[in-house]
Amino acid sequence: MLTVLRGGHVVDPTTGRDAIGDVWFRDGRIVAPPPGGKADKDIDVSGHVVMAGAIDIHSHIAGGNVNTARLLLPELHRAIRARLAGTPLSTAKWSTWETGRLYAQMGFTTVVEPAMAPHASLQTHLELNDVPIIDKGALTVLGNDDFLLRMLRKGEAASAINDYVALTVGKTRSLGLKCINPGGCEAFKENMRAFGLDDEVPFYGLTSRQIFQALQKSTQAVGIPHPLHLHMNNLGIGGNIDTALDTIDAAQGLPLHLAHVQFYAYGKEGKNAFSSAGARFAEKINANPHVSVDVGQVMFSDTVTISSDVLKQFNSLPGAIPKKGAIFDGDANGGGVVPYAYKISNFYNAIQWAAGLELFLLINNPEQVYFTTDHPNGGPFTTYPDLFALLMSADLRAKVMSRLPAEALEHTTLPSITREYTLYEIAQMSRSGAAKLFGFTDRGQLAPGAIADIAVYRPGKDIAGMFRRAAFVFKDGDLVVRDGAVTHYKRGRTLNLCPRYDSNITTRLDAYYDELYGLPRSIFDLPDAALPHNDAFAEVACRK
Amino acid sequence: MSKATLDGKAIPLEDACREAARILGGATFPVIAGLGADVAGARAAILLAEQLRGAFDHLASREILADLDVMRSFSMFTTTPNEARVRADVLLFVGPGLSALWPGMLERLAPGQPPRHGSQAGHPRRVFWIGPEANEAANIPASVISASLDELPDILAMLRARVGGRPVAGDNARRAELDELASVLKNAHFGVVVWSASSGIDPLAIEMLQAMVADLNVTTRCTGVPIGARAGAAGVTQTAGWMTGFPPRTGFGRGYPEHDPWRFEAKRLVESGEADAALWISAYDGEAPPWSNNRLPLITLSPAGKEPGRGLYIEVGAPGVTHDAVEFAQEIGALALRKSHAPTGAPSVAQIIDAIATELRGEVSC
Repeated sequence: MLTVLRGGHVVDPTTGRDAIGDVWFRDGRIVAPPPGGKADKDIDVSGHVVMAGAIDIHSHIAGGNVNTARLLLPELHRAIRARLAGTPLSTAKWSTWETGRLYAQMGFTTVVEPAMAPHASLQTHLELNDVPIIDKGALTVLGNDDFLLRMLRKGEAASAINDYVALTVGKTRSLGLKCINPGGCEAFKENMRAFGLDDEVPFYGLTSRQIFQALQKSTQAVGIPHPLHLHMNNLGIGGNIDTALDTIDAAQGLPLHLAHVQFYAYGKEGKNAFSSAGARFAEKINANPHVSVDVGQVMFSDTVTISSDVLKQFNSLPGAIPKKGAIFDGDANGGGVVPYAYKISNFYNAIQWAAGLELFLLINNPEQVYFTTDHPNGGPFTTYPDLFALLMSADLRAKVMSRLPAEALEHTTLPSITREYTLYEIAQMSRSGAAKLFGFTDRGQLAPGAIADIAVYRPGKDIAGMFRRAAFVFKDGDLVVRDGAVTHYKRGRTLNLCPRYDSNITTRLDAYYDELYGLPRSIFDLPDAALPHNDAFAEVACRK
Repeated sequence: MSKATLDGKAIPLEDACREAARILGGATFPVIAGLGADVAGARAAILLAEQLRGAFDHLASREILADLDVMRSFSMFTTTPNEARVRADVLLFVGPGLSALWPGMLERLAPGQPPRHGSQAGHPRRVFWIGPEANEAANIPASVISASLDELPDILAMLRARVGGRPVAGDNARRAELDELASVLKNAHFGVVVWSASSGIDPLAIEMLQAMVADLNVTTRCTGVPIGARAGAAGVTQTAGWMTGFPPRTGFGRGYPEHDPWRFEAKRLVESGEADAALWISAYDGEAPPWSNNRLPLITLSPAGKEPGRGLYIEVGAPGVTHDAVEFAQEIGALALRKSHAPTGAPSVAQIIDAIATELRGEVSC
């Protein structure tokens, strides 16, 4: 079926479009306007903004740690209304089903879960499989696993490490690698309570720096399109800007993605020894174009922090709101779940909020900075529309700033920043840039040949409202959202890489599992028979 | 070929599914109970409960909720059995019958072997067991602190007090035993406590144990390995978690999930008459329902040989035995695929429920 969306304001940075025009698609793909073509369906979207479906590069939506958070906090997600027909469980708060519905309603069509433990990848994929409508992907976590640390300790050849990385990414069917407090979780098992970039992991004699650099190189060598996704050391601690700047220097000019950097944008100024270093951080990012970041913006709300940085989560436990949590020492990273409430009246939370916005507004290239809240760690993904509104309106920021503790404003440059994001810049951050960052060549854009994932918004005074309830959303050309409401489910796919590796690594790993655990390695596998649908996956190509 | 019966008389499978749909579709508030199933079965059952605006409960919810209530009202420290195997320098087993509740426990945790990772690699483990069954600890190098199930809460309270350096009452011999254990735990590098709510241990005792673990973590490392309950309980709980946000004992009467461990207990729903039909699932071992109401319209899904004399019965296969199944694998502390090793061709719970749901779609708007 041939459809045309006629007369909308088309914003598509990949093709450079930012003007009134038409978007044509046939079935599930965007097509060039056919000469003299007559559409089967002609939809007037004049007065609307037309963008590709948005891509969220970092949102904790699935897996064992997320599920622990659900079970830990029944009081945080009481449902309040019945679902619409044809959308089972879509109002079951925090369920995978609701996640798909809410993302779709905001015009999001692809979301990446950034922390999949290799030994629990089956559950992550089962959960992703139960997120309807949107396409999904995941990043595999390495960097606290004994096998890798042993290889590095022995100084094994890069080719062996590359094979291990390629096998792990392939077997867990992910989009690349994430490294979370490299070595720090292993160190926590040995009772270290703090772990910096150059601290040594007990018994391995390796530093965080060495571990992430090795994985950074492997990521490139294997041809994984997404740069190593790094959760640095010392998250959340005053003065940790030094860790962040040192980490960027340690990147040696190779591609690197730094996750939720707001949580590292802290100086030690003022009587609370806690200040925003967002401006310094942004300056460093601007000078290092091979580094990309997502922000992990704090949005004032009751939420829960979910992280495979067990050391950090353990240290956060005394400040839990409400006072409870779950600390899990996994086979490698594990995870910690600690509820928290960000309050506008709290000095530290106000600094966090301001630091995040400084990063957004002072980093020049919108394709280098991504809009995450590190869902749910800085706030739920449902606050993205409010975040976009803050980026697009200095007035709105001023209104919120007027409610912050006055002393917090003394330790941030935010009041002096007048920049307002344009729709084009929002689309660069949430569409074209996000697609490039993961090597997606047929999404995040409206060029002919791209997947017909399209979001149509009705602009108004209420910017957040515009992004919260898309007027139309097409997934693979299928109209799934109308006037901000999902009309029906469809099954999205999970995107994955299939990197190549030398099969010697398989033999070696089999022997390792057998010797150490006395278990066949296959128990951790992700066979097709374990998943409900054999067409659940769609391959993304590795770089040649 | 699957077998189905109505009040003991054989009927074709298709008729049985149609009859099940008629019973469930005609009910005002049906309950899907037992829920002894693999992940696919649980997923299908929960979707059916939602479609019917009924409720779901698991036959081991008491045990599931004992651990969960400690986590959601206090906190929980856990690790995987394999991390305990490779790193624990001290293992503390708590309660009777653990090796029967988890037959692979001693093989997996390997108390007789030294840990492999960390500063204590190669040094023999210290092993303690509070309140084992007679001879249960005989074949492992464990120091046994004998205690009955009833005594466990007091002993754990005393142990926690001694870990914290607080005085306790009681006879000298017992105090000496607990002092030694407290000292070992405080000096451990990576202590691991092992318990099972299915041993009959009081939930407050589990909380006491976890509170002691939390206390120990102020200065050193200590964590826990819970042994999951029977009939797929841990996998069903995970599935219910991502599908609804809640564990079993959740209802959909208002069109959205509400979790209430009292309100949605299947036995209470049936005996009070609030539920007017039940789908009872016990694919692992054909356990019978716990309620005493014999007039309730009942559909039973259980393996061959476990057919009840009353109501509608549909034979299902055993997950991971007669068909491939994803379930919680205690030995790795995560979901895994179990390959069938004795295939019979009997349908899975998910297949039967999907057939019932297909029949229902004509009758219930969803």
